[in-house]
Amino acid sequence: MKISIQINASPYQYQAADSAWHFIQAAIASGHQIYRVFFYHDGIYNALRDARPPGDERDIVKRWTTLQAEHGVDLVVCISSAQRRGLLEQSVAIKVGGYEQALADGFRIAGLGLLMEAIIDADRHLCFGA
Amino acid sequence: MLTGIFALEPKVKTIFFIIDKPLHGNIQTQEFLDMALMAAAFDQRVVMLFEGDGVYGLLNKQKPESLGMKNVAPILSALSIYDIKDVFVEKESMDERSLGLDQLAVEVTIRSRDVLKQQMEAADQLFSF
Repeated sequence: MKISIQINASPYQYQAADSAWHFIQAAIASGHQIYRVFFYHDGIYNALRDARPPGDERDIVKRWTTLQAEHGVDLVVCISSAQRRGLLEQSVAIKVGGYEQALADGFRIAGLGLLMEAIIDADRHLCFGA
Repeated sequence: MLTGIFALEPKVKTIFFIIDKPLHGNIQTQEFLDMALMAAAFDQRVVMLFEGDGVYGLLNKQKPESLGMKNVAPILSALSIYDIKDVFVEKESMDERSLGLDQLAVEVTIRSRDVLKQQMEAADQLFSF
């Protein structure tokens, strides 16, 4: 089954990112395809390169980077949600004089059209976080 | 032979957007409405439902500008331009709050919880925020 995921909440403060990650692990292990993970609203904070949790805690950002590297899962951060909250793609940051290294490895920034494409094309679309 | 995107049958899903929180307290509403408008732009069948405290968002004479928030009423009034014609408000939510249709800024259809539940079950996708 083609499964699309949407994450709406920030990591650490809410369980959404953890639940989604565990769900994705289980789905991949069961032979399903993860069509895309779309980060919306405060979910964009999952993509901050400079998150540095204490060493004895799970590193949520690194989890996503690893997921992308190991399984090629498409991690897309909503551009308008991201820009509103201060997360800029490198090319935009250069243009406006912003921080150029904000986005963690494995993520890309794009528009809502990619969310719609995922909703339409996937067999199931699941939202994590209110 | 047609190839690429032209070879695909256009897929139309029924996507249900449920607004059950007041509209002007945070940015999520605006981002939520963006999703609904984008779904309509992708020629999907969009249904919008206001229930719970979300019905307060439909009240007329609101001045969210005083909170530094954008007023979403113009977007709601323009939904038909985006071909979003199914805009419902839940009857029970209105009754519980002693609200009448004449107090609303936007033209909506009032439906009972039972009927809306059936509509939700028939939808391909539900969104709330």
